[in-house]
Amino acid sequence: MQMQTVKSKKLIIIPAYNESESILKTIEMVKKAAPDYDYIVINDCSKDNTREILVRSKVPYIDLPINLGIGGAVQTGYKYAADNGYQIAVQIDGDGQHDPGYLKAMEKAMADKGLDMVIGSRFIENEGFQSSRLRRLGISFFSRLIRLCTGHTITDPTSGLRMAGKKAIDLFTVNYPKDYPEPETVVFAIIQGCRIGEVPVVMNERQGGVSSINPAKSIYYMVKVSLAILMARFSMK
Amino acid sequence: MSITIRIILLLAIGGYFVILWSLLSKKQLTLKYTLLWILIGILLFVLVLFPQILAVISRLLGFQENMNALYVCLIGFVYILLVSLTAIDSKQSEDIKNLVQENAMLEKRVRELESRLEEKTIG
Repeated sequence: MQMQTVKSKKLIIIPAYNESESILKTIEMVKKAAPDYDYIVINDCSKDNTREILVRSKVPYIDLPINLGIGGAVQTGYKYAADNGYQIAVQIDGDGQHDPGYLKAMEKAMADKGLDMVIGSRFIENEGFQSSRLRRLGISFFSRLIRLCTGHTITDPTSGLRMAGKKAIDLFTVNYPKDYPEPETVVFAIIQGCRIGEVPVVMNERQGGVSSINPAKSIYYMVKVSLAILMARFSMK
Repeated sequence: MSITIRIILLLAIGGYFVILWSLLSKKQLTLKYTLLWILIGILLFVLVLFPQILAVISRLLGFQENMNALYVCLIGFVYILLVSLTAIDSKQSEDIKNLVQENAMLEKRVRELESRLEEKTIG
């Protein structure tokens, strides 16, 4: 059993729901590209054998006894990071969409510009897998709404590839929505005084599993996230 | 509103309080979450006992029948109750999420401590 020490103070959070096909590939990528990071898989009560794979491969994991959804899973990672004194926590999806090779660039941007949070954006250089046209439309709508609400330009507010510093980690431990958390947390972080930047990344198409957003849910997604952004902007905290 | 309807309504409200009381005494309801139901029962009781209040509401809203004013009040009460239920539910779901997260992090610690203990006893 490998014990993780907290000497590196940098943590990769890998939320996983039914990712048995791709979780080990993702972890291999992480180990190779970011050896100076600790990593932890948050198994969000997967119905497939994700947990068995994690146990067998001696991967450090937290096993949620109830399915909390992506937000609850990622927040568990941030809480774990805060509890264990990590200075940097970065979220990488378990489905192989995110290339951990970008962590260095993100870390550099964070240090150079004194940022509290860095987002890996598909839409700065518009390379690689760009998602469907309809989704891009939704994303640019959120981007505009966020600019309207905060004055900040975030080109890829739905990106799940994001790095948080101490300030953002502490914020996310107290407030993180359960479903579709990405755009809302960006606004929340900006309102709470976090400095946010973006780094261009290329994303792969997912290697296995299914996206958490199907067509039937997209209307709910648009309405809920739009309202959440407005709420985050106008509620006094 | 005829006297017959008023008597029936008063009896019904009485029955409502009997049910509330028996559930409360059997601890099947928590007083904290029943206060709003009791308050609404009392308001309904007052409205039926003193229909003059309903008459005022009817005049303000332009109803012919006091009964309609009673309906409007009832619907308002039900809405308030439903919103309060959703608020309770939201809080509980947030509490459960926090518990689940804490529990899962503890489980990881226990798991690691156990395996470390095992290594020690074997080694």
